[in-house]
Amino acid sequence: MAVVLGKLGAKAVALTLGALFVFVTACGSSSSTPTQSATDVTVWTAWGGNELKAFQDVLKPFTAQTGIKVHISTVRDSSQLAINVDAGTTLPDIGLPPNVDKVQDWVSKGVMKPIETALGDQFQDYMTNTVSSLTTDQGGKSTNTQIYLVNGKHYGLFVKTQVKGLLWYDPKVYTGQAPATWNDLIAIDPAKYNAKSLFCTGIESGAASGWPAVDDFDNILMRQAGHDTYNNLIAGKVKFSDPQIKQAYQSLGQMFSASYGGKNTILTTNFGKAGDPMFKSPAGCLFLEQATFITSFFEQDNPGVKASTDYNFFPHPSMGNPAGDGNVNGFADSLVMYNDTPAARKLMQYVASKDAQQIWVNDGGTLAANKQVTYNDPISKAAFAVVQGAKNLEVTAGDFVPSDMQSAFWKSMLDYVNNPGGLDGILSHLDSVQKSAYSS
Amino acid sequence: MDISTLLTAVVAVVGVPLVLLGYIIGGEWVIERLPEKIQNTFRPYFWAAPGIGFASVFMLVPLAYSVVWSFQDDSLSKFVGWKNYIYFFTFPDTITSLKNSLLWLIFYTLGAVGLGLILAILVDRVKYEAIAKTAIFLPVPISAVAASIIWKFMFEYQAAGSTQTGTLNAGLGLVHHDPVAWLVDATTNNASLIFVGVWTAVGFCLVIISASLKAISSEVLEAARIDGANEFQIVRLIVTPLLWPTITVVGTTMIINALKTFDIVYVLTNGAYDTDVIATQMFRNLSNAHFGRAAAIGVILFITIIPLLIVNIRRFQQQEEQR
Repeated sequence: MAVVLGKLGAKAVALTLGALFVFVTACGSSSSTPTQSATDVTVWTAWGGNELKAFQDVLKPFTAQTGIKVHISTVRDSSQLAINVDAGTTLPDIGLPPNVDKVQDWVSKGVMKPIETALGDQFQDYMTNTVSSLTTDQGGKSTNTQIYLVNGKHYGLFVKTQVKGLLWYDPKVYTGQAPATWNDLIAIDPAKYNAKSLFCTGIESGAASGWPAVDDFDNILMRQAGHDTYNNLIAGKVKFSDPQIKQAYQSLGQMFSASYGGKNTILTTNFGKAGDPMFKSPAGCLFLEQATFITSFFEQDNPGVKASTDYNFFPHPSMGNPAGDGNVNGFADSLVMYNDTPAARKLMQYVASKDAQQIWVNDGGTLAANKQVTYNDPISKAAFAVVQGAKNLEVTAGDFVPSDMQSAFWKSMLDYVNNPGGLDGILSHLDSVQKSAYSS
Repeated sequence: MDISTLLTAVVAVVGVPLVLLGYIIGGEWVIERLPEKIQNTFRPYFWAAPGIGFASVFMLVPLAYSVVWSFQDDSLSKFVGWKNYIYFFTFPDTITSLKNSLLWLIFYTLGAVGLGLILAILVDRVKYEAIAKTAIFLPVPISAVAASIIWKFMFEYQAAGSTQTGTLNAGLGLVHHDPVAWLVDATTNNASLIFVGVWTAVGFCLVIISASLKAISSEVLEAARIDGANEFQIVRLIVTPLLWPTITVVGTTMIINALKTFDIVYVLTNGAYDTDVIATQMFRNLSNAHFGRAAAIGVILFITIIPLLIVNIRRFQQQEEQR
């Protein structure tokens, strides 16, 4: 035996033991136990970077006042919660909501706990103070899974909002009025303002390329065809080859064909850099359609650029259908209570408050869901007015369709920019993806 | 980390090596006490058992599962017959990816092996061989993702008239040519991707072929020169045939790489503009929770690679026998 061990050599044994040690320590630290705690609360968020830092800032006074420790995990994979629910393993006390198609199932299984329970006697304050399109179905229905409303009970507590589909411009270059309709917008002559083209468009985003164009498309469709068609598309109940959908693609095509640099620039420019030509002299373009978050990109890429003096926005113009005019594309972050513990309730009550959301807003990059929050800069104030004035705060279709529909939807925009003449083929391909994506 | 987790870790760290040592020491102790003849037949199996066990658990079992799953629906609970395979061979997106994988197979393999062979022969004849080989080998250890990002910058495009930030388009600007959207334009995108693949692989081919080239006896070459053969004839009629076994091994390895191509396509285009390949299709189906389809693609890929594996293993065996 000694012979054999001798042959093995001390190095080999050491290596094996070392490898085993690494293996074991790597698997050792994954389990956590559920708590029924009044002193600790676990939270899963998808927030990282500045968003995570802002959340930590929000939590500081909470921990200082209550002594409750908040254990945050950044879980980027949105399906992880669903995997844990299906497997019956530990859920965080508080986490992000599930995909819309799972809401009713999870409510019926008792996985999600009602906000009414979490907030207790503060629930009425929440209802009064929060943007109404996030708490109440505007058609009066008692179930609206997009706002996590099921049979009159609320399951998602909204804490942050953003608006999409705003048209950003440099007020030193574009000195005209905000156009009332899409046709007015398209008719503006960039040469009159000494700009090269009407729009700046950049839809490159790595593996997710195409999403900024889907956002622009959504903003057209929800106003042009209206709330029902828009949501039927999300639900897979209207085909992409439907004339209304095709019309929205064609309207978007008007934007593409009036964009700076032509199709190759649209396809190869990252969405974050899309607005840069706007600040050049002479200006490459007059307008960039994008959400509120884009301002941080403006300032980062173009040093010295300031809100109001160098950039401002006007809301998305009407698409000529009065019924669709109040529809605004926004996204709202919400939190769901998965374990009803005393500490979780206290945290939910806290994040619903004006004080908590004020910290979020002060950290920048977001709007609140609570209407009492005050804004120091005019741009955020105006953007929040758009949120508040919404008849329907519509979700982004690209983010609420099944995942293979989503990637095909994004990709369809790349193909459409690349070959506008092939629209019918692109739409019939989307039909076939839709058929298989919604059947499974 | 709570106490029980810590305890598990300690038990595992101490316990697992103990079990392993127990297997080695205890096993040998038992075998040594067996009759000589049985010892000799039994010992190889005893030592190979852990290896075979690990290979089964981590390779054969997953493989068997993949085959079963490839006949099931997305929930992996219902058998659907050949549906996933029919999808793969009829859906337009996957047909595009098949076509592109074929392009990869041909041009990536020819490019990497061909360039590797030519460069091996060329650098063999220069004094600065070591430096040249190092330079050509440099891209090999770079991860494919990093290499793709490097090339993303190389391929960058700005509107005609603006300053070109991409190296290639800046070069085109010097000769007053309009910038090319390398990764978007249908005439250049697949070629660009395959080129990046060749760039990362040619160093590997060069090193292997070069090693085999050194093994060719200089006397053979001298004899040919005395017989009046020119250098081109020597390469064509003597060096290449003698290198053939090596070229086959390198070639089959490259073909397998070509079929497995994923990272370059994923990072540079993610399959947009008709650049998808089989592996990106597999990944997309997997990430969109179409487990049955993804398994079917995996099985198809595996079956395609089997003949190449056989060729490779035969080659290795022949080489072993020659020694």
